[in-house]
Amino acid sequence: MTVPYAMRPKAGDWFMRRMAFRAITVLAVAFLVGAQPVAAKEYILTSVKPNTLVLADLAARKVARTYKIAGPGPVLGIAPSPDGKVAYVVTNHWGSLVGIDLDSGKEVFHTDFSEGDLRVRNIFGLEVSPDGKEIFVLQAPVRIGRSEYHVEDTRIAVYHRDGGLTAKPVRFLPVPRRTTYLLFSADGSKLYAVNWDVTALDPQDGHVLGVQKLQHWERPNYAEPDVFGVWSQFEQSGVFVSPYFVTRTDLDPKDPAAAKTGLVTLDLKSGELKTADFENTSVVIFSSVVNPVRRNEVFSVYSTLTKTDLATNALVKRVNLPHTYYTINVSGDGKEVYTAGTQNDIGIYSTDTLEKLGEIKIPGGADQSITWVRVVKR
Amino acid sequence: MKHLKPINEKARQLDRAADAGTLDEVRPMQTVAGCATTFDPGWETDPFGGVANLCQPMEADLYGCSDPCWWPAQVPDTINTYPDWNAGAPSAGRDWRKLQTVFPKK
Repeated sequence: MTVPYAMRPKAGDWFMRRMAFRAITVLAVAFLVGAQPVAAKEYILTSVKPNTLVLADLAARKVARTYKIAGPGPVLGIAPSPDGKVAYVVTNHWGSLVGIDLDSGKEVFHTDFSEGDLRVRNIFGLEVSPDGKEIFVLQAPVRIGRSEYHVEDTRIAVYHRDGGLTAKPVRFLPVPRRTTYLLFSADGSKLYAVNWDVTALDPQDGHVLGVQKLQHWERPNYAEPDVFGVWSQFEQSGVFVSPYFVTRTDLDPKDPAAAKTGLVTLDLKSGELKTADFENTSVVIFSSVVNPVRRNEVFSVYSTLTKTDLATNALVKRVNLPHTYYTINVSGDGKEVYTAGTQNDIGIYSTDTLEKLGEIKIPGGADQSITWVRVVKR
Repeated sequence: MKHLKPINEKARQLDRAADAGTLDEVRPMQTVAGCATTFDPGWETDPFGGVANLCQPMEADLYGCSDPCWWPAQVPDTINTYPDWNAGAPSAGRDWRKLQTVFPKK
């Protein structure tokens, strides 16, 4: 086949085509690079009164955005969707769950728990499935009678993320009383309900897959431990950790060694539950977090910041804080811990030295109260 | 129940129900939701009998305890009964003078 003369490449055409090819290649590469997601930044997601969600930029050390939630507050539980785009928030005096789109600021999900004479409140437990499709809410219903209250069984209400602004539960699951934490296993096959023990539930129908003893442990010369469970903050390490307090029954109550503080950990990947004392009880601790990088390090908070070594079950270091904080979280690189809750600031501390690196003041000066503090990557 | 002496009607009813084996009919809620189910001493003393391990300052703890109805004898129950008690006082440390005593509604 012969090519017509007019279509044969000339020497100049060859040069121009080559340059055009290069330009297109450069543009294509630039487009592809531009299409790559920018390395996600870490943000703190928390709240302040009155009923305001707060997104704080950790690198910039400042609040990036606030979201006023319609209706009465305060905010309690906060659970971000796995993609970091929607924050599911318990509000309305623990009677409603709303979803706030963190980009548009709009409410994209809403449900009120109470119905008719059944008054329903959420008590701490709040979790999103690892695939982001369902939200699990611990509920305590009470039927309000003319002259009496009838306490109904506690339950987990499951909502689909596409429920919109009039979302209804797609199913209810039975759950033991005294449950506070709801935590998904890493593969999504189990929903752990932390109550007096740790009960693994099938997230589809709620049947019990297994129970690991905690309060009912069989530990010679030890009483039942007290575990204080309010704040879910384990997204960085995938390890649930909580302080416990227990007394030894074989020692004189006046003996300092008769009161012990320890840590209970539940690896959400392996399902392994561990408990270990690390000191004679000397301070109060409210909540803890595991370092996602040096996974033997645990940081705990209240009026002090405490670093503990899980490998040796030893107290490593403790420093005083400017005031009491309820909650704590940690950076993905394991270098910083964040203290929050109670008042109006988020403290930033080195995981190496517990030295204060900075703080984020929330505009308006309002209290965070008992809210949760989560880390989202955006 | 032999170590506890009922001092109000609800407690006496609970006592009678325990004796009659009908405790379920007056079963208290078993989470902190129900108010008055905790036996913490309050802000008077910490677990060691002192004050060093109370929240510091006390105002840091005020809403953390009233929002979940933790100590309903000391602060109003804002979950159910007095939801607006601190509505105009978002900072306990700054706005505490605005907080008022509450009384049962007639």
